Amino acid sequence: MSAFASGMAILLDPYMLWVILAGTVLGVTVGALPGLSGSTTAALLLPLTIGMGPVASIAFLGSIYCAANFGGSITAILINTPGDPSASATAYDGYPLAARGEAGRALGMSTVASAIGGIFSVIVLIVAAPLLARAAYNFGPPEYFALALFGLSMLGAVGSEVGVRNLMAGAFGVFLATIGLDLTTGVERFTFGFPELSEGLNLVPVLTGLFAISEMLTQATQLHMPRERLALDAVRLPSRDDFRKCAKSIGLSSVLGTFIGILPALGATTAALISYSETKRWSKHKHEFGKGAIEGVAGPEAANNAAVGGSMVPTLALGIPGSTTTAIILAGLIVQGVRPGPHLFNEQPVLLYAVFASMLAANLIYLALGLFAAKAFARITLIPDAILWPAVFVFAVVGAYGQDQSITDVWVMLIFGVIGFYLRRFGFSPAPLVMGLVLGKMVEETLKQSLLIFDQNWLLFFSRPIVVALFAVTLLSVFAPLIGRTIRHAFRREKGLDPLSE
Amino acid sequence: MSKKTLGLIALGAAALLVAAAQAQEKFPSKTIEVVTHAGVGGGTDITARMMMVQAPAAFGQELVVVNKTGGSGAAALGYAAGRPKDGHTILLITQTHLLTILQGRGAGVKAEDIVGLARATEDPQVLMVGKGSPYVTAKEFIEASKSKAMKYGTTQIGSVDHLAVVGFARKAGLQTPTVVPFRGGGDVVVNLVGGNIDAALLNYAEAESQIKAGEVRALLTLANERLPAIADTPTAKEIGIDAVYSTTRGFAVLKGTPEDRIKILEEGLVKAMSGKIYQDYLASSGQSLKSVVGRQEWQAQIDEFLRTGQEALASLGVK
Repeated sequence: MSAFASGMAILLDPYMLWVILAGTVLGVTVGALPGLSGSTTAALLLPLTIGMGPVASIAFLGSIYCAANFGGSITAILINTPGDPSASATAYDGYPLAARGEAGRALGMSTVASAIGGIFSVIVLIVAAPLLARAAYNFGPPEYFALALFGLSMLGAVGSEVGVRNLMAGAFGVFLATIGLDLTTGVERFTFGFPELSEGLNLVPVLTGLFAISEMLTQATQLHMPRERLALDAVRLPSRDDFRKCAKSIGLSSVLGTFIGILPALGATTAALISYSETKRWSKHKHEFGKGAIEGVAGPEAANNAAVGGSMVPTLALGIPGSTTTAIILAGLIVQGVRPGPHLFNEQPVLLYAVFASMLAANLIYLALGLFAAKAFARITLIPDAILWPAVFVFAVVGAYGQDQSITDVWVMLIFGVIGFYLRRFGFSPAPLVMGLVLGKMVEETLKQSLLIFDQNWLLFFSRPIVVALFAVTLLSVFAPLIGRTIRHAFRREKGLDPLSE
Repeated sequence: MSKKTLGLIALGAAALLVAAAQAQEKFPSKTIEVVTHAGVGGGTDITARMMMVQAPAAFGQELVVVNKTGGSGAAALGYAAGRPKDGHTILLITQTHLLTILQGRGAGVKAEDIVGLARATEDPQVLMVGKGSPYVTAKEFIEASKSKAMKYGTTQIGSVDHLAVVGFARKAGLQTPTVVPFRGGGDVVVNLVGGNIDAALLNYAEAESQIKAGEVRALLTLANERLPAIADTPTAKEIGIDAVYSTTRGFAVLKGTPEDRIKILEEGLVKAMSGKIYQDYLASSGQSLKSVVGRQEWQAQIDEFLRTGQEALASLGVK
């Protein structure tokens, strides 16, 4: 407990507060800028933190991470472009809300939902990190296979209204995931001799292209139209009604987001996409989704911020990063001479609690920023097109190049910009494509690893309880609508009603 | 043309001459790029950054890491090959680069193009099992492996640890092991603890926290001497198996770099890595304190690896 107290005491240190405030403001800003994500910024600033000492350095990077996930929603809502990849699901309903002149309502909900999700996950991190860390060991390739399969089963529900189109875009994503060196055979696939492609497509350039560049192209086609700039009315706290409507989805998404965040490889973006479809599935107002449902903003925002705390769990407890940004934070720790792992909880509890404290503080700071200063951050949408989009283009190029300093990544980004543009034009959504890309790789690799572990006997999948449970959930999620309809029909027939009357 | 102009021209020419002479004498004259195939935060990346802490003092110039991931070192080799051979671009190579070159995928760089400067780390492979494993000593494990094909977690097919697993099994007379590839050392450790694989050859640092927590047991060190951090773990030689495998990293330039500059680079790197910060890093990450050696010894090691690597790859069936 004394470790807890002395960890929290860093918040009394003006220097630390300054570092956290700077990280949070910077995080919201880059989060709001399309193409410049929290992970890119953390990577770009990593060298700067080396001189700060371990606690300040992690507090700084952690604040950027927390705040960027929130900042992304500002742009998602106001200009229909996720400022951070994790906000892609927020745009589905946030933008239609803003288009109706309810930008303030949407941003208020996004701010509060983000903070609730974020704070919930930090509390989970504080209370249960050592316990939750154990669960990671129960997840081997077979469990990841079942999990990824579960994720793919939701492809139809993510993105545009037409399920078949989502499945097509998802299948294209799965195909793209096969690019690169096959892990279990060492054979190169679809790389066409480019060594940069041998590790597969990098996510950052693909996302930047699909979202930022395709949006830029779409905007360019609408230059002849006097573009209606979405005005931002005063951001306000969600009304009691809105809050009641969203309470369930915020709660569900906070838990879901934290859990998905804890699993290595799945980060805030997946958490937001999955919880969007879950929110929709459990909502009483399904027909509103895609047209400006307030729950559609609350769910993914709570989830993507909950994933931040979640992904810090394996990073700090096992030394295994739960996402791109935590991989950079992990690198920051190692450069400082701190090696995360189970023993860190015994050896340096103060450092850990200081990290937790700074994350809590970052969540509270952006809550305040979101409610009182969102107008300032939203000003980037008031920048004239002639300045905004060229700037976005520059940032997109820098962001794509920055991660691996690879010009091939810039080409990948531009190509995906064109692909994304045509996808949208023909009514496809890029979201299932991204999910297919992320999960496709996982499904294939973990299946091959599992079969090696099982000596090629696939029946052994059913000897693992977690796998069986996940398979059951997957089946249920695929057939739930069918089962539901059958039961309803049977029920009505019993009552002597015409099953087709509704 | 006035006298004044002539005088100015003469002065300018003289200045140019002086500058040219200085350029010849003074090396390095600008920031040195250290090219690695690892992403930011990877083991090799961190090695480069640790070296760089005390390097500016040794060189009188700044250094910067250039991360060129992809193609198991091919992207890094290709990048270095495209830079002028003036000593301002140095590579931090591992055996991975050499294996890539041997497979003819080195972006045009040939085995004889690699000129070693100084070795940076020598990280022995350690045979490890999870806490749930029935084998407590190396002898028990070896005995059981003679009748059962064990499953080893490795990174990538045709990688250094894949070579080490197959080589170790052959030298110890074991059943040919089943290799389960993972994306990285961290995944291997998790699956070792989770009991999904029987064993793994890892560097000590990769599983340090799990070894300290008692979740992973280090059975055998594949080095000439025991590691101080796990002094109870015997070496393979002590139990009669002549197997020495390690992850080795070192600096190199490509052929064509002037000889005098190679010498300056070698001296500067050795000096920087003899500093306290780098030596502390070696100690805290469980690597050999005798890691840092100069050009001669490092080049001999590269040549030896290139010689044996070819047949090792052939025996794996990876070209």
